[in-house]
Amino acid sequence: MQHIDPDHHDGTSDATPGGEPDKRRPGELVFALVMLLASLFLLNSAYGIAGFDALSSPGAIPMATTAAMVLSAAVILWNTAKLPLDRTESLIKDILPLTVVMFALFLVAFGVLLKPLGFLPTSALFLIAAIKILGKRSWLWTVGIAVFSLVVVWLIFRIVFTVLMPAGIVPEAELIQFFRNVFAGGAQ
Amino acid sequence: METLMHFLTVFSDPQLLLLVGLGTFAGVYVGAIPGLSVTMAVSILISFTFSWDVYPAISLMIGIYMGGVYGGSRTAILLNIPGAPSAIATALDGYPMAKRGEAGTAIGVTTVMSFIGGFIGIGVLALAAPFVSDFALKFQPRDYMLLAILGILLVGSLSQGSLVKGIFAGALGIAIGAVGRDPLTFAERFTFDFRLMEGGISFIAVMIGMFGVSEALLQLHHVDKDAVRQKITRIVPSLATVKKHLPLSVQTSTIGVTIGALPGTGGDIAALMAYDHAKRVTKNPDREFGDGAMEGLVAPETANNAAVGGAFIPMMTLGIPGDAVTAIMIGALFIHGLNPGPMLMIDQPDMFWFIVGCLVMANCFMLLFGLTGIKLFTKIVEMPRSVLIPLIMLLSIVGAFAVNNSITDVYWMLGFGVFGYFMRHYGYPLGPVILGVILSRLLDDNWRRAIISEREDLGNFFAGVFGSPLSTVLLIAVVLIFVSQTPVWAWGKSRIFAKKENT
Repeated sequence: MQHIDPDHHDGTSDATPGGEPDKRRPGELVFALVMLLASLFLLNSAYGIAGFDALSSPGAIPMATTAAMVLSAAVILWNTAKLPLDRTESLIKDILPLTVVMFALFLVAFGVLLKPLGFLPTSALFLIAAIKILGKRSWLWTVGIAVFSLVVVWLIFRIVFTVLMPAGIVPEAELIQFFRNVFAGGAQ
Repeated sequence: METLMHFLTVFSDPQLLLLVGLGTFAGVYVGAIPGLSVTMAVSILISFTFSWDVYPAISLMIGIYMGGVYGGSRTAILLNIPGAPSAIATALDGYPMAKRGEAGTAIGVTTVMSFIGGFIGIGVLALAAPFVSDFALKFQPRDYMLLAILGILLVGSLSQGSLVKGIFAGALGIAIGAVGRDPLTFAERFTFDFRLMEGGISFIAVMIGMFGVSEALLQLHHVDKDAVRQKITRIVPSLATVKKHLPLSVQTSTIGVTIGALPGTGGDIAALMAYDHAKRVTKNPDREFGDGAMEGLVAPETANNAAVGGAFIPMMTLGIPGDAVTAIMIGALFIHGLNPGPMLMIDQPDMFWFIVGCLVMANCFMLLFGLTGIKLFTKIVEMPRSVLIPLIMLLSIVGAFAVNNSITDVYWMLGFGVFGYFMRHYGYPLGPVILGVILSRLLDDNWRRAIISEREDLGNFFAGVFGSPLSTVLLIAVVLIFVSQTPVWAWGKSRIFAKKENT
């Protein structure tokens, strides 16, 4: 089958995973090594479930799969080590640019703030910061788009899908009740 | 008669009809916007619809699935960016056509061909599934186990990239699925004495992380890319064009259904194989392949939509997903208390016929939305990525949180998102991970059932395997996939070919 790479070898699609077939990308060897070590650790942990007690023990399949992981990770490490390093790429530019690190941290911060601050303020902060950084447009445009999309998301998921998100500092339930009363009052 | 009633459920209920329509509409756009994948949309949707009844939830998801598989072709043709993995092959000839100013024709043909392919797929599903499920009743636990392994291996080997990485990803998925207390003996597995891991890792968190967050992080590399505008002219293709390509579309639909029905392989692989097939059988194309050949559009587009129907066959009859999206749908059915497999077809045939009805409806909606609304479409696709990426991240967090109202799930999701990001960069396929997570339980249960019934004796177990033609075939298939990726295979091949040259 022909190898089709519409963009760059970034693995945007599941059918053509990224990576380069005949070169080693920056950091790939370290990743392969970490995978092998993690697999070994998991194999040890799987052995701890029931050891070689019985073929039908709860540890049998975990041991088999982690053994498969160790073997395949070792083969991958071996194959990766044999490949020449791709000199045209660098870790900072192609694999882990600053934006990606920053957004990963943003997401962690989102998770930390979600409970205490509540869904609406956290999301607003996140969207404004993210859109400002990525879009590089004026504050008015940024805040407008962020608030508009947040309202749409909130309406769809809170009202249509009835998903409950942490309210935090915003008295969400009271607000909804208030509007319900207003509409109910209008209907009378 | 009763069957017909169940089949017509979706047609007679305006609410369900509306949901299928909405889903298809959303699917076409989700599929079309690069960076939003159907797998991502369906995995996020599960978490939002889990409080709904099962019928509306399924209607919406099927709509999105059907529309999404088709929608990817739009941007493939207009921008040379496949909106979904299944549209990768479409870009090869679709974009050259658009560059020549034939974008309208390309979209029209794609739409009609997707419709035809979709129907052939659904037809095969409706005819074949009842037989397969009758047959599946004879399956032994060991057969299920072998099928599950086969499914995970197939995704790993047929998708591009190396099989070893596919095996690693699949095994990792099974291990993730095993985390928590063992349902039979209550022994702790991979919990490392953390109480919060006793309940296992929410598979929805894994899915949203791998397909939502990792994708969004990856898209950060392409924020500055501008959308290109294309003028679109006449869309509805002439009857002569459709007639001319009908024979090819039937062939490629067959490929699509078959690939779709293999456990683990879906529309993306079907489309690439169909494209290869079209290249081989088309003797005198009007234009060369890769230069805007109409056949190069017809083949992948019929195949990927036919694969949708195909993918439901193993899912409904065996409980083994046909591709990543059906893997997620199995998860959705689990959440709604249903257990896909041969018993579901017997106990609740209504569910099966309802799904077939939904597929038919979604296919019709797809034709409708495909041939209309082009103006609106170009507007939506031009949505800047600087807004799109933060929104995907927001939705991923909401989705991961919503299922169990748990922050822990959000952290799992983020963790798997970052991990998936690296996996994508270094060429590890993600499909096998999800398949592994979904099939972990089935694999574990059936292995233990099989080996206990053989009184823990491996000799008896293999005697049983070789005593049954089905198990033997499955085992041989598993072994063959392994061997085909080892040096032994290449060595054998070179020896055979060397002999031929000598004679």
